[in-house]
Amino acid sequence: MASSASPALALSLNPEAASPGIEKVNTFHWIIFVVIVIAIVAVNVAIFRAARPRHRHIDADGTAGGRQMRVGIGLGAVALALFVTATVFSSQAREVPVGDSGVVGLNADDQLEITVTGQQWLWRYEYPNGAFTYHRLVVPAGTTVALDLVSADVVHGWNVPSLTGKAQAVPGKTNRIYFRADEQGVFSGRASVLSGQGYDSMEAEVEVVPAAEYEQFIRQVRIDTQAAQDAVVRTQERELEAAAAETPQGEVEPQP
Amino acid sequence: MSSYPKTMPPTRPEVATGDGRERPGWAQLATSPDHKVIARILISAAFGSAFLAAVTLVLVRLQLAVPENTFLSAVQFDRLLSVYGATAIFLFALPLCIGLLYYVTPLQIGSRGTALPRLGQTGMWLFILGGFLLYSTFLFTPPEAGINPLPPLSQHAFTPNNGVDAWIASTGLVTLGLLLLAIDLLVTVRNLRAPGMAWRRAPIFVWTAAIVTWLMVIIAPIFLAAITMLMIDRQLDGGFFTGGVGGSPLLWQHLSYIFFTGAYMTVAVTMLGGISEIVQTFTRRELPGRRAVIGSLVAIAVIGTLAWTQNMITAPIPSGWKYYAMLMSISLIVPFGLIFYNLISTVSNSDFHMRAPLRFAMGALSLASIGLAVEVSQSTIALGSQLQQTYDAWAATHFTLVGFGLFGGFAAISYWYPKVTGRMLDEDRARISFWIMFAGSLIAFVPLFGAGVEGQVTDSYRFFADENVGGFNLVATIGTLVLFVGIILALGNLIKSRTGGDVATPDPWRGQSLEWLALSPPEPHNFDVLPDVRSTQPMRDIRESLLRREAGQETPAGDTQPVA
Repeated sequence: MASSASPALALSLNPEAASPGIEKVNTFHWIIFVVIVIAIVAVNVAIFRAARPRHRHIDADGTAGGRQMRVGIGLGAVALALFVTATVFSSQAREVPVGDSGVVGLNADDQLEITVTGQQWLWRYEYPNGAFTYHRLVVPAGTTVALDLVSADVVHGWNVPSLTGKAQAVPGKTNRIYFRADEQGVFSGRASVLSGQGYDSMEAEVEVVPAAEYEQFIRQVRIDTQAAQDAVVRTQERELEAAAAETPQGEVEPQP
Repeated sequence: MSSYPKTMPPTRPEVATGDGRERPGWAQLATSPDHKVIARILISAAFGSAFLAAVTLVLVRLQLAVPENTFLSAVQFDRLLSVYGATAIFLFALPLCIGLLYYVTPLQIGSRGTALPRLGQTGMWLFILGGFLLYSTFLFTPPEAGINPLPPLSQHAFTPNNGVDAWIASTGLVTLGLLLLAIDLLVTVRNLRAPGMAWRRAPIFVWTAAIVTWLMVIIAPIFLAAITMLMIDRQLDGGFFTGGVGGSPLLWQHLSYIFFTGAYMTVAVTMLGGISEIVQTFTRRELPGRRAVIGSLVAIAVIGTLAWTQNMITAPIPSGWKYYAMLMSISLIVPFGLIFYNLISTVSNSDFHMRAPLRFAMGALSLASIGLAVEVSQSTIALGSQLQQTYDAWAATHFTLVGFGLFGGFAAISYWYPKVTGRMLDEDRARISFWIMFAGSLIAFVPLFGAGVEGQVTDSYRFFADENVGGFNLVATIGTLVLFVGIILALGNLIKSRTGGDVATPDPWRGQSLEWLALSPPEPHNFDVLPDVRSTQPMRDIRESLLRREAGQETPAGDTQPVA
């Protein structure tokens, strides 16, 4: 996990927000944080003032129906305002910005589609050109990335807080999330849904690099993968040949 | 039966059973259909489970005291966590709520018992059986798939041992038992109210009983269906929760979260109802917004349970569900706010003696206000997708459930303690244990908000030094130990005051509802004479009537009749 500000000052969610969506979430968190602190302090001050042992002037008229109504309307207005604010920020945090980095392999909507497969206890990434990596995802900066989260076994929780919100990878379902990383660097996060005994070691890393570097990387991965696969195939063929060369002798000898 | 002694006929043939011989005490306790006996066993078991939940929570927190701790292994941690969750919800919070309602509301409605006592008795024993089953798994394999065992992890392919089966059987027995108790109570409060006690005159706690039992009747079968499907998946190769063969793992999330959200609301509604009774008694006045409070309790139960998808903000469900849950959760501000406003303004507007019930009630409101505020913020999609499944969410849930369940539970039990035991709770010990528990709760859970904002995920058996959450976790562990000490002291006070407390009169607090008419502890048949209820405060009417009679005035016709 990337280092962050001192824990005592960790009021801002994700100090190193690296995507526009998460910056919106940070702003919203500040608003909500202030609202919540005011609400909690107000309620608790009222509770402690009420519970303080003292003789007090008792209001003769305790049945204030009009006050009930006013409080209810006030709370309703607060709830409505909160809901509207939350809706605006939630839809902004989930917006699908379109990139213009000219990366090869984008779909019609100019989104880079990467399939992320959760498995016990690793993340596997498949790039548009057929290359795949484990553990570390490399994406180009300034490009909208669409992650299709799927799972090979149990439910896993995708969690890279500096770039995206959490999202579950559920077997049999595709969970699509978007993000656009504007800053380069390595961002990581631990899986967030209990997935068995190796859950604590399941981590996702996202490396944001310039577009050209990304192109170079997936091409190289594809070449390396192809070479490794070819090597495996060649080894298997050699073993088969060797076995074929040995087998007739082995089989022939016992025969009379 | 053949040797029925003719010389000793039972004085009340309609209630006598057996051959008239005294059976041993434990047999009477185990077979009594008396709602008070059943509820005492339920409440005692629930507070025993509070101790067990505290022990498992302390073990979980000790493992998380320092980074990369090796106190527990991953499997041990998962097992303790799963047992902790099941204990806190199924063995502590829910049975405590149902037990309190089951003891108090038949007395409050002036009934001689419950409508279907054998059903309630069966339910209580199913609950006890389920609790023993859960803890007997420590002899072989405890469940290890988490507090909410999500399939496919809880399916046979990934947890082939019998721990999850034991979890299913245990929670199933408990839920079935609580459902039977809820049905009994629902029939009772609907049919056995004293003459004159229309719903508009029923105490708030009786309304609470009606709301909570309806809620249980709706959510408990959903959960029973879900665990039956999971059992079929595990043992009979079913595919209810398997993707790709017609089932879906998301089905479990929907069904289980309907139940868990409903259970959360059950605890909140029950304890808010109990706190309302306490506030009314200690401030000597009726809540000014009685109807608003009752309506708010209904709204919390309905709207809160309908917001179950707020737990699934990160799941692959259509975003319409998430906006719907966000709307439902945020609108809960209104009913919760109205109740809090009513309770706080009533207390601040009156003169009262601060005693243990009111102290715990105020503590419950204080802690729950923190939890509820943060829960609302996490129901928004933008923040929920960041903060859910972190210790921020864990802390919020704990503030609400420790506030309502533990503090509300101690408020209610110390309020009705004289009625249940015939003794007064020791006031000094109650005050000391309250402040230790209150401080412990704050120290244990406030730092976890910081850890959650830093991104520490829940359910993991360890965290790493570079996550920058070591300080938060260490303080939280210390706070949990303080909370544990407070719980031990409070439980010890409950046990010790049963024999050492001052003898209680039938009506030590000058309450306004009918349970204070019965003796302390009440006779098995509760009341010798059934009162005639004319207002929301029948005890006030009875006292005034007695005063008038002493003053030599004639009792007006139709007034509530005093009991000699």
